[in-house]
Amino acid sequence: ELTFLTKQEILAHKRFTELLSKEERELPNTRLPMEKILTLPELKSNPFRKRICHVFSTSEENDGSLTFEDFLDLLSAFSDSATLEIKSHYAFRIFFDDDGTLDCGDLEKLVNCLTGETDETRLTEAEMGQLINNILEESDIDKDGTVNLSEFQHVISRSPDFVSFKIVL
Amino acid sequence: MEFSYMFYGFYNNTLVEDQNFSYNLPLAYLFTAVFYFAFCFICIIARSVPALLLSSLLLLLLLIDILQMCGCVQLNEMSRMPFKSLSGEFSHPDPRLFLDRLLSHRMGSAARVAVATGGSAVGNYSMIVFASWDYGCLGDKATKLKQKNIRYQLQVDLEEEQLKKKAASQTLNQKIILYSLRISMFLLANGFIIAALYGIFEATNFSQERSRQAGILGLLFEYLPSIVITAGNFVVPLLCDQIASIERYGPSTTVIIALLRSVILRLVSLVVLLLTLWRQVTCNGDISSDDCKLCQYNHKLYPCWETRVGQEMYRLTLFDLLISIAVLVLVEFPRRILVDSWSSKLAQWVGRQEFVVSSNVLGLVYSQTVVWTGALFCPLLPLISSLKFIIFFYCKKITLFYNCRPASKTFRSTTSTFFFVAVLLIGWALATAVMVYSLAEIHPSLSCGPFRFFPYMWVIVPNSFYALSKTTQEFLFFIGSQAFSIPLFLFFCVVLCYFIALCSVHGKSVALLRDQITLEGRDKQFLVKQIQALSR
Repeated sequence: ELTFLTKQEILAHKRFTELLSKEERELPNTRLPMEKILTLPELKSNPFRKRICHVFSTSEENDGSLTFEDFLDLLSAFSDSATLEIKSHYAFRIFFDDDGTLDCGDLEKLVNCLTGETDETRLTEAEMGQLINNILEESDIDKDGTVNLSEFQHVISRSPDFVSFKIVL
Repeated sequence: MEFSYMFYGFYNNTLVEDQNFSYNLPLAYLFTAVFYFAFCFICIIARSVPALLLSSLLLLLLLIDILQMCGCVQLNEMSRMPFKSLSGEFSHPDPRLFLDRLLSHRMGSAARVAVATGGSAVGNYSMIVFASWDYGCLGDKATKLKQKNIRYQLQVDLEEEQLKKKAASQTLNQKIILYSLRISMFLLANGFIIAALYGIFEATNFSQERSRQAGILGLLFEYLPSIVITAGNFVVPLLCDQIASIERYGPSTTVIIALLRSVILRLVSLVVLLLTLWRQVTCNGDISSDDCKLCQYNHKLYPCWETRVGQEMYRLTLFDLLISIAVLVLVEFPRRILVDSWSSKLAQWVGRQEFVVSSNVLGLVYSQTVVWTGALFCPLLPLISSLKFIIFFYCKKITLFYNCRPASKTFRSTTSTFFFVAVLLIGWALATAVMVYSLAEIHPSLSCGPFRFFPYMWVIVPNSFYALSKTTQEFLFFIGSQAFSIPLFLFFCVVLCYFIALCSVHGKSVALLRDQITLEGRDKQFLVKQIQALSR
C-alpha cells in the first residue's frame, strides 16, 4: 500500500542487485553477464537456462547478458498472471534456434534437453527418429516438415493453462 | 473383549419404552448397519462420478476452441509478423479459453489430467515434449528426476508403438509360440493363486479347531489365517512379476495384468476365508446334520457365531496394521541406513525401497473391504479402522519421505483412478452380499445378541412394520405395490435413455470436430501454396 510496486518487483530488484558487485551497483542500467545470472538457484539446474537468457537479452553482442528491465521481462513472462499466448510465444522462442520454426534439429536438441544431457540418458537414434516423426505427424498441420508458432500454440492450447511454465522467486 | 460393546454378542434384545420415548435396539442395530453401507456407497459415487462427467464435457469444449483457433491461425501465418511485436498477434478475443480455464480451475487436477492425457488419439507425443517440463523445478535432484520421468514416459510410448507394429507383422509360427507361452504362464499364475487360496482354507480350518488353547501358541493359532493371507499377498505378486517378464506383453498391459492378479488374489482370499467360516458355522450348509439340527447352526462349536466372525475380521484389521508398522521399523529404516552408510556395489544395486503406488492402494482397498464385511458383526470396527488408517497414513508419510525413492516407472493416473474406484466398488459389493446373506439366511445365535429369538435377522423389520400406524402401513404398501413401482421403473428407463442419447450425441460431435480440424489444416495448406504462387 505504500508504493505502486508489487512485492514481486521489489524482490526481483533485490535479487538482481545481490548479483552485482559493489561498483556496478552505483551505475545505472548495468548489464549482468550470463554466468552471473545462471547462479540464481531457480535457473541453475534448468536445462533451458542458456536459451532463456538468450531470448530475453537485448544486448547487441547476443551474449545473453541481461539488464534489470530484461530481468523483469523474464519474470513477468514466467509469472502466474501472464496469458497463455504470451507463455506459448516465449516457450516457442526458447525452443527454436533462430530460424523461426522448429525443424528436426531443434526438436532433437529439445528432446535431449528434456531427457538429460549426459550420454546414457539420451534416447537411442531409432527412438529419436520415431519420436520426431510422431511429433511432426501430430502437430505439423501444413506438412512442411517444421512446427511454426501457430502449430505450436495449437498444441499448447490443449493443455488448459500451461501451468508448468512458471518461475517464482 | 468379547463381552464389550465391540462385538455383536454383548448387545441385548431390549426394547426401551418410556412415556414419550421408545428405542427398539434390534431394529436400530439393523438400520445402523444398512445405513452405513448405503452411506459408503453414496460417498464413493459422489467422489468419482462428477470428475469423469466433467472431463468429457471439457474435452468437447476444448475441441470447439481448437477449431476457432484454426480459423484465426490462417491470418497470422499469412502476415508473418516479426517476433518482437507482441501487440499484433494476441488480438483475437478468447471467451472460450477463459471458460476452459475457469472450468479447469474448478474441477481440480484429476479431471485436468484426464483431459490432458485422456485418449492417445490427439497429440500425445507433442504434448509431452512441448508442455511437460516444469520450470519451477529447483535443484539438481528434482531436475534429474523429472528428466527420468519424461524419458521413461517417452520410451514406454515408443516401445508400445513398436510392439504393435511388430505384432502386426509376425509370422504364423511366431504367433503360435507366443500364444502357447502366454497360455502356459497364465495357467501357472493361476496355479500359484489357487495354491495360496488352498493354504488359507487349511489354515482357517486348523485355527478354528485349535482356537481354545491358552498362551502364545493359542494366540498364534488364532492369528494363523491372517498370517497366511498376508504371506500370500506378499509372495504371489513377486512370483507373478517373474512370470510377467516371460510373457512379453507391452509395458502398460503388463502393469494392468499384474494389478488384476493382485486384486483377484486379495478379494478371493477374503471370500475363501468367509466361505470356510460359513462351512463351519452351518455344518457345510447341511442344516439337518447332528450338530446343526437343534438350532440350525453349529451351536457346539460356536455358541455365538456372530461374535466369532466379528473377531476374525477384527484380527485381520489389527494384524494388517501391526505388520505394516513392523515392516516399516524392521525392514525399511534399516534398509535405508544400510544403503546410505555402506557404499558397496551390492548396496547400490539393492537401493532404497521403492514406493509403489498400486500395491499400496490395493492394500487400502483390501483393508476397507475387511472393515465393511465385519461392520455388521463388530459395530465398533469402523471406528477402529478410522484410527488405524490415520496411524497408517502418518507412518506411510514418514517412510515415504525418509526411506523411499520415487518409483522409476511413472503411473498413468487417469485409467488407474477408474480402476481403483471399480475395485473399491467390487469390495463393497462383496461386503453387501455377505451382509444380505447373514441377514436373510443364517439363523442368529440363540444365546447372545439382539436378534436372539428371531428365525432370521430381517424378521424384525416386518414385525415392527405392523406396529406402525394404519395410514403409514397403507402408504408403504402402496409404494411397494406394482401400481407405483412399475411407473417408477419406466421413468428411470426414460431418464437412462435420455443420458445414453446425450452421450452418443457428444461422441458424434467430438468425431465431427476432429474431422473438421483436419479439413481446416488442408485448407490452410492450400491457401499457403496459393499465396506462394501469387507472390512469385
